[in-house]
Amino acid sequence: MTSGADVAVTGLGLVTPAGCGTAASWAGVLDGRPTAALDPELKGNPVQLSCRVPGFDADVLLGARRALRLDPFTRFALVAAREAIADSGLDPAEWDGARVGVVLGCADGGPGTVEAQHRTLLDEGAHRVSPLLLPMQLPNMMAGQTAIEFGATGPNLVVATACASGATAIGVARDLLLLDRCDVVLAGGAEAMITPLVMAGFARMGALSGREDDPATASRPFDAGRDGFVAAEGGAVLVLERTADARARSARIRGRVVGYGAGADAHHMTSPHPEGAGSEAAVRAALADAGAGPGDVGHVNAHGTSTPLNDLAEGRMLARVLPHGPVVTSTKGVTGHMLGAAGAVEAALTVLALETGVVPPTAGLSTLDPGLDIEVATAPASCPDGVALSNSFGFGGQNAVLALARA
Amino acid sequence: MFETLKEMLVSKLKVAPEQVTPEATREDVELDSLAVVELSLLLEKELGLQISDDELLEAATMGDMADLMVERSASA
Repeated sequence: MTSGADVAVTGLGLVTPAGCGTAASWAGVLDGRPTAALDPELKGNPVQLSCRVPGFDADVLLGARRALRLDPFTRFALVAAREAIADSGLDPAEWDGARVGVVLGCADGGPGTVEAQHRTLLDEGAHRVSPLLLPMQLPNMMAGQTAIEFGATGPNLVVATACASGATAIGVARDLLLLDRCDVVLAGGAEAMITPLVMAGFARMGALSGREDDPATASRPFDAGRDGFVAAEGGAVLVLERTADARARSARIRGRVVGYGAGADAHHMTSPHPEGAGSEAAVRAALADAGAGPGDVGHVNAHGTSTPLNDLAEGRMLARVLPHGPVVTSTKGVTGHMLGAAGAVEAALTVLALETGVVPPTAGLSTLDPGLDIEVATAPASCPDGVALSNSFGFGGQNAVLALARA
Repeated sequence: MFETLKEMLVSKLKVAPEQVTPEATREDVELDSLAVVELSLLLEKELGLQISDDELLEAATMGDMADLMVERSASA
């Protein structure tokens, strides 16, 4: 696994409900502190639980004038990107911007901006609608704003595979690097979908945990009593470079993206394939891409949403494909489900697990679903050698699996 | 009226107060075409002044914008 054709992670930036910044996020995830809480902004909604990013003051972090024109999903992306670039040791004032790409993922762009302006349309009329409605809410805007902020004029796009978007972005970014379209890619995802309308939609689907009487155990991936996910907000950006380039500039390599597998269930608009056929194909594709076999997998950061259907299908798939029992965790027990950002956040957390040698626990899990034969960490566990997988699956049947390895 | 305009730019569009002088141009205050549409909307909503974004774009300086506001409020 020392191939020159792999991609190094040289910078990490995280904005999550566990904390603003990589260190705070990692500490919160390792501590296994659930972040779900009743959300006053969802008053009147059928489900009022969410996981918000604590202490994120956009006016301070980005300047009030800049923040005013940015939907929260773009704010999260910019703050995560800034941290990741600083971590990488790269200097945007020095780099060849044409060789720097931006590939980010989100499920929904800026629904909060859309909802507010729709209210203006209904209450005050079309002439009062803000000229910033579209520039703020378009999903691609976070990549465009990232380019503006850091002078990255290379390939620039936002991918949408619902809850797999952040992982898809990293996979696509890796492809761009291996095709020599870029020398550096800022890859990741961000999401800010905790709005009354979106949350009403999730609630009507029956996707959300209704455990409002005990928020700390609402997100309980793989638990026998799980009843849905808790929606979260946040973002993550990883600085990716070809490993040979990173070594040549003596960068600190925090981990490597050694494989990527993607595909579609082609089964149902929201339900995962009950046997996990599509997710299995993605896992096998990621391993083949990495030149690894199932037995090489030591750790899996599962999609593990805490929904009855996902966790059963994913857990059975993992037991079938990886019968030797690698250490599985779902960090969504702490963070909730950051939707289109989740895949990027969890790829970063998987890099940290490999780097520190510690797999974070699955918060909220007390009784493993008796239908599952997998090894789920309920306390911090040693991260074995070998490949780690980060699974992400989206409504629509999109599956994206990243294979990661130590530097 | 200049002070009213300045207050609007500072409190609603988050322009730094020191940037807003009567001689300052749109470029000095970093008001792009989107911000000018926002300003037109604010003038109508907050002060009842009907000044289109095209008219505001023709004002060379913040002072000229304030003059336009005086003119329009007198004719209202």
